[in-house]
Amino acid sequence: MLITIAIGSLKQRKSSVLLTLLSIVISVSLLLTVEAVRHQVKSSFASTVSGVDVIVGAPSGDINLLLSSVFRIGSPTKAIAYSNIEMLTEHQAVDWVIPLSLGDTHNGFRVVGTSNAYFQHFMYGNKTPLVITRGNTFTSSSSAVLGADVAAAMNYDLGNTLVLAHGLGNVSFKQHASHPFVVSGILAKTGTPVDKAIYVTLEGLDAAHDTPTASITRVNKPDKPSSHEQHRLPPHSHENEHHHGDASKVVAGSGNYNENYTPKVVSVAMLGLKNRVAALQLQYQLNQNKTEPLSAILPGVVLSQLWSIMGNIEGLLLGISLLIVVASLFGLTTMLLASMRERRHEMAVLRTIGASPLTLLILIQLEALLVSLAGCAISVMVVATLLLTTSEWIGNHYGLYLSGNIFNVESVIIVTTVLVATLLIACFPAISAYRQGLHSGLNQT
Amino acid sequence: MSSATLSPTSAIEISNLKFTYPAASSVLCVPKWSINKGEHVFLSGPSGSGKSTLLNLLCGTLTPTSGNVQLLGHPFSSLSGSKRDKFRATHIGVVFQQFNLIPYLTVSQNIKAAVYFAAGNGQQQATQQRLSFLLNALQLPENMASQRADSLSVGQQQRVAIARALINEPEILIVDEPTSALDAASRDKFMQLLKQVSKKSTMLFVSHDPSLQQYFDIHTTMDALCLGEQPPC
Repeated sequence: MLITIAIGSLKQRKSSVLLTLLSIVISVSLLLTVEAVRHQVKSSFASTVSGVDVIVGAPSGDINLLLSSVFRIGSPTKAIAYSNIEMLTEHQAVDWVIPLSLGDTHNGFRVVGTSNAYFQHFMYGNKTPLVITRGNTFTSSSSAVLGADVAAAMNYDLGNTLVLAHGLGNVSFKQHASHPFVVSGILAKTGTPVDKAIYVTLEGLDAAHDTPTASITRVNKPDKPSSHEQHRLPPHSHENEHHHGDASKVVAGSGNYNENYTPKVVSVAMLGLKNRVAALQLQYQLNQNKTEPLSAILPGVVLSQLWSIMGNIEGLLLGISLLIVVASLFGLTTMLLASMRERRHEMAVLRTIGASPLTLLILIQLEALLVSLAGCAISVMVVATLLLTTSEWIGNHYGLYLSGNIFNVESVIIVTTVLVATLLIACFPAISAYRQGLHSGLNQT
Repeated sequence: MSSATLSPTSAIEISNLKFTYPAASSVLCVPKWSINKGEHVFLSGPSGSGKSTLLNLLCGTLTPTSGNVQLLGHPFSSLSGSKRDKFRATHIGVVFQQFNLIPYLTVSQNIKAAVYFAAGNGQQQATQQRLSFLLNALQLPENMASQRADSLSVGQQQRVAIARALINEPEILIVDEPTSALDAASRDKFMQLLKQVSKKSTMLFVSHDPSLQQYFDIHTTMDALCLGEQPPC
């Protein structure tokens, strides 16, 4: 009965209740969004890469190297000579090396040139290896392995051919049409940037870039090399340009997969060490490399640095969101308190038919709780829908992989806190109702 | 009017009752008065004579400055606030001059609210039966139970107010000028209905209209209560 009375009373004051509800929905949604993004980004960050001890690339800043190599965000660093990869492969502390060549796209999805070592050694989450759900890893130089999201979004299947585009934009006027790749395998979903990339052989990637089309572009603009060339070619390496024009490479590129293929350059290399203790020492050695300037990073350390930068912003956002929630809860209290004067008669009637002052206090608390609960419920639905509908776009544009599932401990804590805060703040109007005089209320019409 | 001695048959007993509104000079004073169980009493008096104040003292919405109000043998005026609320919900039915229905509740919800505050949510079947009986007795169609109170006519609101006052089968029914907004024909019909449904209760009916006296066996006035045969306060 009390709930019926509370709902009836709220309906009676529709306009002010709806406005208050709206302010609660906005503030709680904001808080839930900040918390959901913070929570999911943190776990997404932590699970993006696992088992990789060192990442080596050209000097460009630790975070930039991590973002381009692991998250596929931003432009890749300049290329490093493959001789460095060979040196690392022979290093006594190194167990395995994954060379990565970055810089091309296919319909907006990043293309990663690599070897089968990537599928063998790269791990995510809690040391979870990559799994090929259909097909195989590279079987020929023109093989392509698709991330799960690419296959789903492009509706590609085994045997489909795809043409790479030059550069990182969604739209490119320069396509490597003369060297199409054939889908040989599709990876299982990982919930990491792995899903949003296309993996091709280093040999095939070089062959695609060594087509006449690529040569013509370079001849026409000799003084302004493309961004792709900037990061794929070692500085001042004219020798590589000559290789791009080598037609025999194209022919060779369509043959069987050559595990021992040695490109001239790669963008970065991921290293797994025999003993992780050696990571710091190896990092120091590589950073002091005399033959070619290199930058070596420890992914875990840089992830922490990156998170600490984001953590401050996230803390600030969380604080602001909390203040907005508090403000809207005070709005709810103000609405209830303002209504107490016009409801004195109603309260007195309820008292006359037997409601105790405590019952009136509970009634007002119930009204506040109903508004707050409805606000929280709508907020949860709004945020879940928002994240579900925008997660793909956010993933494509910002490399953040969010899910619509916001039902975690943190969101339960937020909703509970909002409800408890509502009960506390609603004490003001509730006590006012409790203390209202019976007779004076009845005389008011 | 019955005798003023303390009796197990008394429903209402007043002794040395005094009440003064804060910042007001006038005093309501009732030296001694009682109504026996089952009696239907008509109390009249001009406007401003203190009728409504006396009713508020009897149903506990006002507390006496001094003196006692005993209801059904209980020292009603000296009960704690919560006990008085509970006693009022359980034993007293009140029909107000303005009916005082909750506008946003339906007829059924308005009436059942009185049951809820008196006894909680139990005995729903018995409540429903009693509700149907009262609606029928008060000539309110069953389908009106789901209508909002603020959509009813004055006459309908009046009958719903009586149903609410009687739903808990109170021993004491206090009725405060409920016919002031009615024409003569409607008033007579209403009085007949009221007498019919409140046979089991002790009723104190207050009005400034002396023509209603014909419906009651016992009649008294505010002047008689305050100054009449009783010794002065």
